[in-house]
Amino acid sequence: MKKRRILIISGILMLVLVAAYYFYFGFLYKDARNIESEQPAYTITAETLVKDYETDRVKANSKYLNKTIVVLGNVNESDSTTLALTGGVSCSFDKALAAKTGEKIKVKGRCIGFDELFGEVKLDQCTINQ
Amino acid sequence: MIKKSFLVFFMAAFVPFVCKAQKFATKKGNIKFEASVPSFEEVAAENKTVSAIFNADNGEMAVLALMKGFRFKVALMEEHFNESYAETAKYPKAVFKGSLENFHLADVTEKPKQFKITGELTLHGKAKKITDTAMVSKSGNTIIITGDFMVKPADFDIEVPSVVSKKVADEVQVAYSFSLDK
Repeated sequence: MKKRRILIISGILMLVLVAAYYFYFGFLYKDARNIESEQPAYTITAETLVKDYETDRVKANSKYLNKTIVVLGNVNESDSTTLALTGGVSCSFDKALAAKTGEKIKVKGRCIGFDELFGEVKLDQCTINQ
Repeated sequence: MIKKSFLVFFMAAFVPFVCKAQKFATKKGNIKFEASVPSFEEVAAENKTVSAIFNADNGEMAVLALMKGFRFKVALMEEHFNESYAETAKYPKAVFKGSLENFHLADVTEKPKQFKITGELTLHGKAKKITDTAMVSKSGNTIIITGDFMVKPADFDIEVPSVVSKKVADEVQVAYSFSLDK
């Protein structure tokens, strides 16, 4: 009888601990998104992406904003942490990159919106897709 | 006829000035904000993809920060910022338009010099006048503008729910740093 009670109590205790663990690491301190490993919502050319933003900004935002996308284009200019694709897509990288001007590449990143100052669509947390 | 030649002279004399407008720009500006309360968890975010254009002829400045570009250390905090507070899907950008008063490029050296900055900050669909001081220095062909100021979330109609209001400061410190290239 006593044994059974101990078993039940320890069982409940285990459940509470597991629940607390999931609440802590699965909800309160869940991992940030890993854009590099996410499946892209869209794979499109730089021209199409910019055209969609120029046609209707609100519609384009509801389609692309905060989504992981793969953009195809030619490198217009680049430095160690950013590169611009011809047509007007600005990509920012967390890790240093090496890209040649004119090179045709695929960039995976998170769309953060349209920058009216430069007339460009911006992506962050980018990686180069092979 | 005289008028026409005068016009030609006028254009010949002034067009080069207009074309020579000294514009400096960056797409990699940095804005950090912090609303931490002592003894509670740090509430801070950083955006490293801020665009800024500065006209060194008249001191006019335009800054655009995409709200989704603000990144927090804690993923849930970022989610709350985006969905509940700043509503970044509805209001995707923060814009500052203003100018540095009495700005003359010739006064700027490698040693940071103080300038008064005034302008309007628009975010979350609300605009507010900002008056503060900015430090400006020059290094080769790069102008560096830095500074910080305080804003209240309430000024921009951003409500912090009472459950967490103790953990988020009433005043948010915003620090910016732009290295603008010619």
